[in-house]
Amino acid sequence: MTDEAIAWAVQTGDPSFEDWDAFTAWLEADPAHADAYDRAMAAVMDAAEEGLVAPANDAVAEEVPARGGWRWLALAASVVLVAMLGFIQLRDASYVVETAAGETRTVALADGSDVTLGGAARIVLDRDDPRVATLEQGRALFSVRHDDADPFVVDVGGHTLVDAGTVFDVARVGKTTSVAVSEGVVLVNPERKLARLEPGDTLSVTDGSDAYRLGTAPVARIGEWRDGRLTFDEATLGEIAHELSSSTGIAFSAAPTVAERRVTGSVALAPVKQNPQAVGPLFGVAVRREGDSWIIDRP
Amino acid sequence: METHLSCTRILTYRALPSLVLSVSSNRAPNGLEAAFLANRERLLRFLRARGAGDAAEDLLHEVWLKISTAAVGPVAAPVAYLYRTADLLMIDRYRSERQARRRDKDWSEAAATVPGVSDAPSGERVLIARDHARLVAEALDTLGPRPAAIFRRHRIDGVQQRQVAEEFGVSLSTVESDLRRAYRAILEVRERIDEA
Repeated sequence: MTDEAIAWAVQTGDPSFEDWDAFTAWLEADPAHADAYDRAMAAVMDAAEEGLVAPANDAVAEEVPARGGWRWLALAASVVLVAMLGFIQLRDASYVVETAAGETRTVALADGSDVTLGGAARIVLDRDDPRVATLEQGRALFSVRHDDADPFVVDVGGHTLVDAGTVFDVARVGKTTSVAVSEGVVLVNPERKLARLEPGDTLSVTDGSDAYRLGTAPVARIGEWRDGRLTFDEATLGEIAHELSSSTGIAFSAAPTVAERRVTGSVALAPVKQNPQAVGPLFGVAVRREGDSWIIDRP
Repeated sequence: METHLSCTRILTYRALPSLVLSVSSNRAPNGLEAAFLANRERLLRFLRARGAGDAAEDLLHEVWLKISTAAVGPVAAPVAYLYRTADLLMIDRYRSERQARRRDKDWSEAAATVPGVSDAPSGERVLIARDHARLVAEALDTLGPRPAAIFRRHRIDGVQQRQVAEEFGVSLSTVESDLRRAYRAILEVRERIDEA
C-alpha cells in the first residue's frame, strides 16, 4: 500500500496532474489509503522545506564533510544542469520561481522588497542575497526597498538594471527586454553604456546589443497588468499574441500574414478570458478558433 | 443527489460576506468559481475519500474561500486546480495534527520524567529533529546523485516533472521512478525517527 501511496504522491504532486477521479477511486477502495498518502506527502513536504534552509547551514555541512549532504547535491545538480543546458546557473542558495500561463504571483524578498510575476514568467533569486534577481522570461514588477549602500540589481538578457529607489516593470519576451519605471530611478548597464530612467521612461533593448530604444509611458499604465490590463504601443501582433497567452493562459497565436503588423491599444483581460474574440475589434483583426488555440488573422 | 447547482444554492450554503459580495454584485462567477459550482459534489466526494469525514462540508467551504478571496489569476485547468487546492488543504491539516500529536507526546514524556533524572527522551528528540535534514540528505545520497538532484529540482525549486525530464535529458517515467525512490527513502527516515 505504501508503494501505491508513494506512486500517487509523485503524480498528484505535479501541477500537470489531472486524473483526480482515478485518485478518488483509489482512496475510496480502502480508508487506510488516505492515511498512507498523507504520511508520504507530509514526510516529503517536511523534507523539502528543510532542504530550503539546509544549504545555508554551514554547521551541518562542516559536521559531515565526507558525506556531502544538500550542499553537495546542489553542486551535483548544478554541474549536471550547466553541462546539459549551459544557461541555468544554480548556485548553492539560488532558487527559481516560475508561474504558469495566466498565473500571477507575488514573491516577498527577505529585504522587504517584492516582485510580482506575470504569467509564464521565470526568475532566479538568491536566498543568501535578496538584492539580486535574474529575470529569464516573462514580466515582473519590482517594488524595491532602496538602499544606497546595497543597490538592487536585476540581470536580464545580459543587461544589468540597478535601482535607485524604485518601482519598475521588466518584461522579457524572446530576446527583447523592456523596462518601464513607475517610481524612483533605474540605471541600465551602469558599467557599460549607462542609461538613466526616471518615472514614465521606458527602454527596450535586444540581447547582445546596446542600441536602446527609449520612450515614455503614462506612469499610471506601468504595472497595470497586475490589475488585469495590458497596453501595447506599436507592438507587433505576434508579440501581442504571446503576451495575451502568458497573461490569460489561453493559447493565442498570430497568423504569419499579420504577425509583423504593428498596432496600439489597451486590452482589459477579463472580457478576453470570457471571449477570446473580444480582442478582434480592438486591433481590427479577426480571431478564429483552431483546436485549442485562437488565431489572430486578417479580418 | 443534486446534479446541478446554481449560485443561489451556494448562497444558502453559507452566506459569508465574501459569497454575498461576489454573487450579489451581479458579477458573473469567474472560470474558477464556475468550475467550483459545477463540481461541488465531486469535490465533496474527494474530500470524504481523503478522510475529511464530517468536516468535508467545512473543508469544501475553505476551498471556496481560498478561490474566491485570494487573487488567483486565470487558471488553465480549473477543475484540477480545485482538486489540488482541496488536496493541499488536507495535507496541511494532517501536518498540523501530526505536529500537535508530537508536541503532546514530547510534553507527556517530559512530564513523566522522574525528578532529578535528565529528560533524555525529549532531549534526544530535539537532537533528532535538528539532524533530520542531514539524515534525509544521507538517505537520498545512497540513491546516487540523480534522484536526489531530481527531487530537489522538482520539490524544492518547484519545476514541473516534464521540464525536469528535459533538463536532465531523461524520460518522464525515469523522473517519476527517481522521485518514487526519493519519496520512499524520505518516508523510511521519517518512520525510523517516529519509532525511536
